[in-house]
Amino acid sequence: MPTLPDGSIRADQVWKKFRADKTVPLFYEQMSRLRKSASTRGGPGYRWVLKDVSFDVEPGESLALIGVNGSGKTTLLKILSQVTYQSAGTCKVQGRIGALLSVTSGLHPDLTGRENVFLYGAVLGMSRETIRRRFDEIVEFAGLTDAIERQVKFFSMGMQMRLGFSIAAFLEPDVLLVDEVLSVGDANFQQKCLQRIGEIVRSGTTLIYVSHDLASVEAACDRTIWLSDAMIRAAGPTRDVVSLYRSSVEQSAVPVSLKEGVIEVLKAEIRAVDGGQVRSEAKTEVRMVLKAPEAVHACIYLGISQGTAFPMFIVDHECNVPAGEFEVRCELNYLPIPHGHYSLWTAITAYPRRHRDPYLPWQPAMNFDVMGPNLLEPPDGVMPFSPVFVGNNWEIE
Amino acid sequence: MSDLSLGGRGTLVTPDLSAIPAEPAEDILYHHRVRMRQAAKNLWAHREIIYTLAERDFRAQYKQAALGAAWAVLSPVATLLIFVVVFSRVKAYPSGGIPYPLYAFVGILCWSYFSSCLGNGGTALLSNKALLAKTQFPRECFPLETMLTNALSSLISWIPLAILFVIYQRLPSWESIWVPYLIVVEVAFAAGLTLLISSIIIQMRDLQQVLPIIISLGIFLTPVIWPFSYIPNRYPLHLLHHTIHVNLQIVYGLFNPLGPIINSARLTVLHGQPPSFGPLIAATVGAALYLVVGFRVFKRLEVSFADIA
Repeated sequence: MPTLPDGSIRADQVWKKFRADKTVPLFYEQMSRLRKSASTRGGPGYRWVLKDVSFDVEPGESLALIGVNGSGKTTLLKILSQVTYQSAGTCKVQGRIGALLSVTSGLHPDLTGRENVFLYGAVLGMSRETIRRRFDEIVEFAGLTDAIERQVKFFSMGMQMRLGFSIAAFLEPDVLLVDEVLSVGDANFQQKCLQRIGEIVRSGTTLIYVSHDLASVEAACDRTIWLSDAMIRAAGPTRDVVSLYRSSVEQSAVPVSLKEGVIEVLKAEIRAVDGGQVRSEAKTEVRMVLKAPEAVHACIYLGISQGTAFPMFIVDHECNVPAGEFEVRCELNYLPIPHGHYSLWTAITAYPRRHRDPYLPWQPAMNFDVMGPNLLEPPDGVMPFSPVFVGNNWEIE
Repeated sequence: MSDLSLGGRGTLVTPDLSAIPAEPAEDILYHHRVRMRQAAKNLWAHREIIYTLAERDFRAQYKQAALGAAWAVLSPVATLLIFVVVFSRVKAYPSGGIPYPLYAFVGILCWSYFSSCLGNGGTALLSNKALLAKTQFPRECFPLETMLTNALSSLISWIPLAILFVIYQRLPSWESIWVPYLIVVEVAFAAGLTLLISSIIIQMRDLQQVLPIIISLGIFLTPVIWPFSYIPNRYPLHLLHHTIHVNLQIVYGLFNPLGPIINSARLTVLHGQPPSFGPLIAATVGAALYLVVGFRVFKRLEVSFADIA
């Protein structure tokens, strides 16, 4: 077997099973397995959390793992970092591994920030010498110069996370594994973290990045693997996989979130005012036919989202709703979204707001496509907060 | 699934999920192979982590206490005072002309290191759950780290021992040069048993409750307050009309190396005699076996630690 260059990963048919019921002590389980070998009752005592996962990564590549909760992303990272072992298949990671699987679990609350830098650094695989050399940089990066002699239990959660990430940011591994840690701190610090990850990747380190934050995945990784139900659902360039993932999340979101309201949506449509396809920057009209059991004073909300229940923008209107079927028309002067697949969400609440159930809970009314320019690639390490398209003209003299 | 081995580089790949079998093929099942030499090398490469974790525990122990690290010395001195008061009145066993507090303290010192290693080290994997599931360094660092922390407190307990020597106006004999060797044997024994117990406790939590009971029983099964010479060195055994004399001290030393260790410590430090070599050799062999078996079992079972912790 030829040795791989440092920073390579080869995962070949990796399977991993977990015991189904972890509350039963392993010992009894093994005993009862021996006993009931004759009579098999009940289902299998385990479930698969990874099935037949194969991929490879070359040195210096950046790969993201995405998927809903429980799809096996973290387990895969743990196998790559040898925190746990696969049940079947082979998994080879060449070179030094730096695994940031949790930002704060290595910190000891009773020790000071300074003591924790040494503790956590060592736990993550840094030598004392390296930590001593880079100590000032770490503290500076975390922005904790004043608090570093304080016990960590007196740190705010944000400060603890900043400290944890900063220590990891100065690891110099061949392979860096990062699990869902960029949700830490404020927007400024997140930006700093992404930039730092970008620097690490550019210096030739292989990156495996797990996140639910698709924008940061797009900013940090060239390639993405989408795990679903323990299996690889799709793999490829980040942009393709992420859009496939987005549309799947959207589809599964529609039936789930349909809640009963007093007011029903009978029909919803969206079109450009001039009659053409829905497109970026165009004047756009939303038409909905709704049915109300009685006349009420209400506020109608419309929002457009990409996959999630959190809209990129919303508009609202306060009006008297008549009893029976009625039509709502809303003209958007300008559609600030790029090419893609979107959902139109709506809700109707009582007005003035009282503490009572909404007439129509927030739910997707329809899906639609927008023609137009693709969202621009942001510079490395920068993530757009919301993928909004703003028309622009430039002049350079 | 070799078409996926590229992991979709350049183009989008969506594998056929229905082609994935319900179970992996028999021939790719993962077997955890233990290579002792490599494991030992790897442990040595990660020795800094043991120091760092021990430092963590030691520092954290005395944080926010007004007297701070002084407690490390104060608490064994307090134990000593209780000791002198009680045992200068009660003389339970013959101590061969040695003041009984001194005689017993040497035994207690050996025993307390061993028992604290089992007590803390046995549950080290459980108490470090958070780290265990998130970090990748060798798992044996956790129990070994508690052994180092305990060694530090044990060393500090030598101060009250010195005080006892002063009180009873004695000097340790020059035979005390055996002490480093005794320490090595005891540490090997403690390490082997701690590794063994910690790797079993994590799978069988009931043992966590039983362990303190076993430890408190162990102090009476070990010659801590009674002399090792109570174990016969010529025990007649009748087998098929023959009578064989068995040295039970050697048999005992094989299973519980702590017996000969404590005995030798008393002989050398207090009596100025050489250790009794037969039982000590048995203890050395026993301790080495405990270490090898303990380390092996630990490395064998570590495959599931992160999943069940």
